[in-house]
Amino acid sequence: MSMSKTHPVWTGLLLLVIGGAIGYGIGLGLDLLISGALNFNGSVSAAFALLLAVTFFFFGVYGYRGITRGLVFQVIGTLLGALFVTGIRALVGSDTIFGSFLFSEPAWVFGAFVGDVSFVFGVGVMSDWMKWARGIDTPEHHEDEPGWEKYFGVSLDHKVIGIQYTVTALVLIAIGGTFAMIFRTELAQSQLQFLTTTFKLFNQTGPQFYNTLMSLHGIIMIISILLGVSGIMNYVVPLLVGAHDMAFPRLNAFAYWVAVPASVLMLLSLVLGGFDTGWTGYPPLSARAPVGMQMFFLGVFTAGWSSILGSANVIATVIRMRAKGMTAMRLPIFVWASIATSIIALTATQLIGLSFQLVMFQRLFGMGFFDAAKGGNPVLFQHLFWFYSHPAVYVFVLPGLGVISELLPVFARKPLFGYRWIAMSSLGIALVGFTVWAHHMFTSGMNEYLRVPFMYSTLLVAVPTGVKFFSWVATLWGGKIETPTPMLFVLGAIIVFLLGGITGPPNAAIALDLHLHDTYWVVGHFHDTIFGGFIFPFFAAIYYWFPKATGRRMNEFWGKVHFWMMTPSFLVLTFGMMRVGLLGMRRRIADYDPALGFDTTHLIMTIAGFLIFFSVLIFFINLFHSISHGEKAEGNIWNSRSPEWQVPSPMPVHNYDVPFVVVGEPYDYGLADSKYVEFSPNGSKHPEFPPVREAGKYH
Amino acid sequence: MRHFVIVGILIIIASVLIYIGLDSAGLMPVEASAQATDIDWMWNLELIAMSFLFALIVVPLVYSLVVFRRRKGDTTDAEHMEGNTRLEIAWTIIPLFGVVAFAYLGAVNLAETRRVDPDAMIVKVRGIQWSWSFEYPAVNGISVISDELHLPKGRQVLLRMTSSDVIHSFWVPEFRVKQDLVPGRITELRITPIRDGNYKVRCAELCGTSHAYMEKPVVVSSQADFDTWMEEQTKLAEQAAATPEGHGQLLVSANGCAACHSINGASGIGPTWFGLFGSQVKLTDGSVVTADEAYITESIKAPQAKIVAGFETQLMPNYGFPDEDIADIVAYIKTIK
Amino acid sequence: MVHNTQENKTLLGQGVLIFIYLAVLTGLEFFIAISFQSVPLLIVVALVKAALVVYYYMHVYKLNLEAEVDDEAYDYKAGTNRLGLWLFLISDSFVFAGLMAMRVNLLGLTRPQLNQFLGLGVTAVLLISSFFMNRGEALMHNGDRQGFLRNTAITFLLGLGFLLGVVIIEWHTIPAIAETVLHLFGEPAGVEPLKPTSGVAGAAFFMMTGMHAFHVLSGLILLGIVWNNGRKGFYDEKQYPVEAVAVYWHFVDVVWIFFYPALYLIGTVIK
Repeated sequence: MSMSKTHPVWTGLLLLVIGGAIGYGIGLGLDLLISGALNFNGSVSAAFALLLAVTFFFFGVYGYRGITRGLVFQVIGTLLGALFVTGIRALVGSDTIFGSFLFSEPAWVFGAFVGDVSFVFGVGVMSDWMKWARGIDTPEHHEDEPGWEKYFGVSLDHKVIGIQYTVTALVLIAIGGTFAMIFRTELAQSQLQFLTTTFKLFNQTGPQFYNTLMSLHGIIMIISILLGVSGIMNYVVPLLVGAHDMAFPRLNAFAYWVAVPASVLMLLSLVLGGFDTGWTGYPPLSARAPVGMQMFFLGVFTAGWSSILGSANVIATVIRMRAKGMTAMRLPIFVWASIATSIIALTATQLIGLSFQLVMFQRLFGMGFFDAAKGGNPVLFQHLFWFYSHPAVYVFVLPGLGVISELLPVFARKPLFGYRWIAMSSLGIALVGFTVWAHHMFTSGMNEYLRVPFMYSTLLVAVPTGVKFFSWVATLWGGKIETPTPMLFVLGAIIVFLLGGITGPPNAAIALDLHLHDTYWVVGHFHDTIFGGFIFPFFAAIYYWFPKATGRRMNEFWGKVHFWMMTPSFLVLTFGMMRVGLLGMRRRIADYDPALGFDTTHLIMTIAGFLIFFSVLIFFINLFHSISHGEKAEGNIWNSRSPEWQVPSPMPVHNYDVPFVVVGEPYDYGLADSKYVEFSPNGSKHPEFPPVREAGKYH
Repeated sequence: MRHFVIVGILIIIASVLIYIGLDSAGLMPVEASAQATDIDWMWNLELIAMSFLFALIVVPLVYSLVVFRRRKGDTTDAEHMEGNTRLEIAWTIIPLFGVVAFAYLGAVNLAETRRVDPDAMIVKVRGIQWSWSFEYPAVNGISVISDELHLPKGRQVLLRMTSSDVIHSFWVPEFRVKQDLVPGRITELRITPIRDGNYKVRCAELCGTSHAYMEKPVVVSSQADFDTWMEEQTKLAEQAAATPEGHGQLLVSANGCAACHSINGASGIGPTWFGLFGSQVKLTDGSVVTADEAYITESIKAPQAKIVAGFETQLMPNYGFPDEDIADIVAYIKTIK
Repeated sequence: MVHNTQENKTLLGQGVLIFIYLAVLTGLEFFIAISFQSVPLLIVVALVKAALVVYYYMHVYKLNLEAEVDDEAYDYKAGTNRLGLWLFLISDSFVFAGLMAMRVNLLGLTRPQLNQFLGLGVTAVLLISSFFMNRGEALMHNGDRQGFLRNTAITFLLGLGFLLGVVIIEWHTIPAIAETVLHLFGEPAGVEPLKPTSGVAGAAFFMMTGMHAFHVLSGLILLGIVWNNGRKGFYDEKQYPVEAVAVYWHFVDVVWIFFYPALYLIGTVIK
């Protein structure tokens, strides 16, 4: 039940402030008690403030249930876990019962872990499984409450979960983007303007805080991409294959909800002393970073479960729950992209978890995996880490490239050129992508000759990627092209991803990479690939499927403003990055020598960054406003052949009351009298669903 | 058919224009090493490829947007064209050959940059948070350790590098080549300077708070000037080794203390040494102590024992100096006023 | 569940036969290790053992990738769950593959100093537990609930024995017990026990056995749940959970089939 008659967001915000203040006070007091000092801008007060602010916010918006209950459990679990370890240390007579941030590092780590696990129990996503363990059966489907409230608690409906993922991804993009704006402001001019050595916040000086913001920008954006990818796949894949839900709805909900405590941990790392290693977390530096490092490790570890379990779900759904007649070569192309993505996410993700786990244990127990003094090998970390983190970038972009392939035929009114080749190219990229990881390590001290095969395999990825580009151009060629907002973002994606793609081979050439590695050239390259492969298609997908989810359109004018503000700014930003990188600007630095002459370029880059920021703000406003005030769009507004558009919008709760049968090719635009799917007129197979709609009426 | 011809011509024109534009934009620093010349050859090849590939995709794309736009009022679909197997094979096989060729050229290019000169001068490089130290070949048993890298033009130098703490990376943009410094092992880098000048080596692997400032001068001069410098440095080393303060100053320079401790009173990551000896120091627990010899000695031996107020966020590592070295460093610090 | 008695006997007999093969192969690898130390041969033996378990005990052939969708049928849903479990196991095996890569990179052709009899002992215990797990699953398939409960309980006890053998004795967490048992296994006195901080050998050993032990522990918990629910008759008709726990248990065994030679058998000892 909602707490008051005012809009819940205001109640939430009010309680956020109150909770933050209470937490701040408690933290300040505890810190004073243990350390004897009043640290007004310190970490402990900030940590408690953060935890309570977030919890109180959701309490104000939603009451004590769902996400709020999860957060309460997380906070209590964290404290109990930390107190437990602290108690043991006291009993055992350890000389450091407490640590620099109230609790010792092992206490914070154990506490954070207990909090992680407690969250999923508190939010309620474990309850069905706990019942099964006791031998109690639960109903197959759970009915969701109507309205916005179902998004704040556990729902088993893949459409709700898809939206939960997407909104969480957007929230993380906003946070990560804000961090970027802060350090971009510092970088606009050489020398330190405000993040100086006298600046102090959360137990970090200016340069340390810069490193933390930059590191968190990286990982928060990466996690937002993983969640965004899961969001699109979750929402769209069952609709495309004709299923009523994913294969494992409870696992689906779990995979989503586990990402929330992971995000909390990420933010906790900001305040618990931060960390100065970049998201790549290389030891030995990460073995000696502050406690925030452990929060980062644990947060990523947790988010990894989301990725792994979500991808198992997608694969099982596509294999076992397709509509009749949907053979492999009649799958929508996005489904192929999802399979390729999920193969990577299912397997490789474990390696980043392992690599972080090894550093965590090195810190906690002195196990010398990467400690040269104990015979360890720092480069081993890089191998384990990049074995995931390179294929990960294909997890980032394959779905987006799938969105491009899925949408182009609709807006060009022409079949997808070379469908089979595009389908296979996704798998090709995924497979070859497993063989290239050491191209991130050409300067690392790895075996010098071993670098050469990696150069070959890296360049090889260009072949299936090229197949996509050529096929896209061929799809547009001779078409009848319209450019509403989703299509604009698709076209922007192609051009931006192209830039990312062609700036890759210079990095593959080993000798040239010796110059480019760890410079802003690489930063430009990966921003291009990520924006082109994910961000632009993500926006395209939202503008495209928003009517399917809500029955309304987003505002077309402001959508175009978003696009035209964002795209040129982004191109300027990345060209600037590549330029200064080539001329000698290293990555991950808070300050640069004025003598290098980069000041003007950096100023332009910062301005471009702010324009991007504001364009995304416009998008957010458009999005939330259109949910209740957008122009109604209840039919097949894009005139798509795809099955989900053959039923009214918003999508019915159980998707297809009348199941469909695949009777043709997905992208046969221009072929007279051809249909992709046909809705059988013989009635529903599911007697508990509402009565049969009039079949075959919609296209 | 005419569409293809027009697009073909536009692609060629666009490629050429883009290439010319990029090439004349001065995107690379000056070539100051033989390796740079090799690498810039590869870069030029990449520029050609990038210009062409960009034009190849963007020109037909933009052309389609203009020429193949839906006409107002036309609600029909476009021509039903599903694919063209020959074309698809072609645009798979040709790029495949292309990438193999590029990889081969890349391997050849790498081999050029790794040419070994058996006569190379060996300089031992140490990276330490946040400074560089360079040890030159010993002359008459005296090794020069400097925080500046001086190199004679035209002679290959073999840098043998290691790190004392975390991973660092040696990079002079004008030399192009880069190599990480890894604790527990020695990594190598060969550079043949070909151009006189004053450059900077800057750390290119994030190594903590002051990574941005981990830089030292690199001076390339004629062999004669280099020899003169070496003689001066050797003499200074001999003299310095004679006195405790001199030896202390050498140790300080070799271990990068200046990355955190200034000698001119400027604030930094650690307390300044200017006027430190004999001064009153306020600690984090509120007490005030005198910075006498015992205090400074303890601060080096056990840095966490007493922490100066305001410096809690960045803790000094333990360098493990032997006692005689610590005494010399203290002697040097005493002279800074 | 009506089953052919002949089929029943065959399933049980097959379980025994495969166990005999596994036991012989384990003896063989122990012998190879202590006599002429052939790394390729040891790898081959491990692969054969793993293949036997994956095919016969984990019955991977039951995986059905077809989609003749019949959402409501129990067997179809069980098939989907089966696929889900195998996907999870594929994912989990990447963790262990990564640990193996770590061991190879850090230790190469050396290995930690460990008591061979203890190693052989815990390996045998785990293999025997897999035998009883397979037996229990086969008996439940035949409708013999009591047989299932008995054999699952034995599996649990043997698994617990393995866990304690590693965590208490091998890890020396309770020195008094550890030293007594090791003394029984002929361990010479005065040997410094391996610690997590004992260089890379200690780090690799404890991380690998630790991650494996964590999976054994979770397997024990699942065994307990399934035993308890089985006792109440929940799996008489809908038997998939029994199969799932059995497959998971065998997976944990397969991991050990590789970890045992990697830690105990391959390479020369470093101090």
